[in-house]
Amino acid sequence: MSNFFSDIGMLFSRYNSFFLEGIRNTIIIALFAVLIGTVFGVLMAMMRMSKIWPLKAIATVYIEFIRGTPLMVQLMFIFYGLPMLGITFPEVSFIPNFSRFAAGIVAMSINSCAYVAEVIRSGIQAVDGGQMEAARSIGYSHTQAMLYVVLPQAIRNILPALGNEFITVIKESSIVSVIGIADLMFRTNDVIAVTYRTLPSLAIAAVIYFCMTFAGSRLIAFTERKMSHGKQ
Amino acid sequence: MENNEFLRVVDLHKSFNKLEVLKGINTSFSRNEVVSVIGPSGGGKSTFLRCLNLLEVPTSGQIIFDGVDICDKKQNINLHRQKIGMVFQQFNLFNNMNVMKNLTDAPVRIKKMPKEEACEKALALLNKVGLADRADAYPYQLSGGQKQRIAIVRSLMMEPEVMLFDEPTSALDPEMIGEVLEVMKQLADEGMTMIVVTHEMRFAREVSSRTMFLAGGHIEEDKPSHELFANPESPRLQEFLAKVL
Ligand SMILES: Nc1ncnc2c1ncn2[C@@H]1O[C@H](COP(=O)(O)OP(=O)(O)OP(=O)(O)O)[C@@H](O)[C@H]1O
Ligand SMILES: [Mg+2]
Repeated sequence: MSNFFSDIGMLFSRYNSFFLEGIRNTIIIALFAVLIGTVFGVLMAMMRMSKIWPLKAIATVYIEFIRGTPLMVQLMFIFYGLPMLGITFPEVSFIPNFSRFAAGIVAMSINSCAYVAEVIRSGIQAVDGGQMEAARSIGYSHTQAMLYVVLPQAIRNILPALGNEFITVIKESSIVSVIGIADLMFRTNDVIAVTYRTLPSLAIAAVIYFCMTFAGSRLIAFTERKMSHGKQ
Repeated sequence: MENNEFLRVVDLHKSFNKLEVLKGINTSFSRNEVVSVIGPSGGGKSTFLRCLNLLEVPTSGQIIFDGVDICDKKQNINLHRQKIGMVFQQFNLFNNMNVMKNLTDAPVRIKKMPKEEACEKALALLNKVGLADRADAYPYQLSGGQKQRIAIVRSLMMEPEVMLFDEPTSALDPEMIGEVLEVMKQLADEGMTMIVVTHEMRFAREVSSRTMFLAGGHIEEDKPSHELFANPESPRLQEFLAKVL
């Protein structure tokens, strides 16, 4: 057992650059995935709630399909499948491995978008319908009622759930290691391959993932408390 | 009376899918009139009221308000709604705004009223309903009776030509009903045109000039209030009054 802990100390002091690079790439992927996923998720949520049925149909199929298939399959499809259809991500000279990163971020974003869309839709629908009706009854347009009455209330439901989505993405992003992106999981495997210290290496990875998600969930709890002001 | 008439309902029908709730309503309202709408649960009272400001879109028929048919798709309903106030059973104050903001947001944003003017007006009206000291409170800090009085003021801020009330006291604890009815009575005395769906038979009889009995999607009886309560004609109304009085 003392061996285990001394191994951890040794691994971390000798290979910390591996872990740090992994952390950096994991955060980059997760951040981009959630940002892009949120932008398109808002769009997708609006489409899903739209009265124009083709938009609604597209959004519904997209959301249900993405949520109903494994992220692994989606990632493989983007990384291996698209090039077979002649669609490739370009390389960018000053960013090493750009096409891999692009594929990883695109896959994660496509996935995240569907979940974010649902988060937003359910956040809006959780606001009592009487709020919209009251606003419409005194002359607000639908858009005004949305912007000034419904959305400010929906944000309280949406932001914490978005934070949770970010935490989920941090954990799930470990999957991009299978397409060769040097995220935390990938670099942990490197360390294992070099040192054969499987258990201590994985323990380090687990603790790092936990620190990232725990910091995230504390931050969510904090903003939630800040926002509870003025709530019923 | 005739030229005073400013809201007319012609052969109004409303169905939800297969369920026909309003089966041809014909009636009209004059300025300064206070009309109560009574009737059994599920008879279509709320649906009728909500059709008047198009919160429900009628299946067919006309609603002539100030000389135009507001069911006409070419009409800007947002403009008409500013002149038709509505008070809900569940109050529906905006939870994300304090009382002052609840009252001033629409006049400032929609009618472009200067902010100071809106605040002054709001304070004056709050004073009238005895709530000037609650201007900074959020809805969750108010009692039901206070919320409803403020909801009434919120409608008044838009200077409506008519006010619709859908069971404004039904969600209130008994000890708070009086304070809301008092405000409504005051409004009636000042000449506001009011259409009130209510289970408060005393209000219907004593405050409203006319009472309408709506059952099964029809107006079964529609007369001056004292007459309707003194001499109910239709058996259905007699039965209804026997139950609620
Ligand atoms: N949005 C809706 N969709 C489907 N059915 C509805 C809808 N709104 C009302 N109904 C139905 O229409 C009928 C009349 O409802 P309405 O609310 O107008 O009755 P009411 O006279 O106001 O009753 P209460 O005294 O209980 O409020 C009821 O059978 C109700 O279930
Ligand atoms: Mg009703």
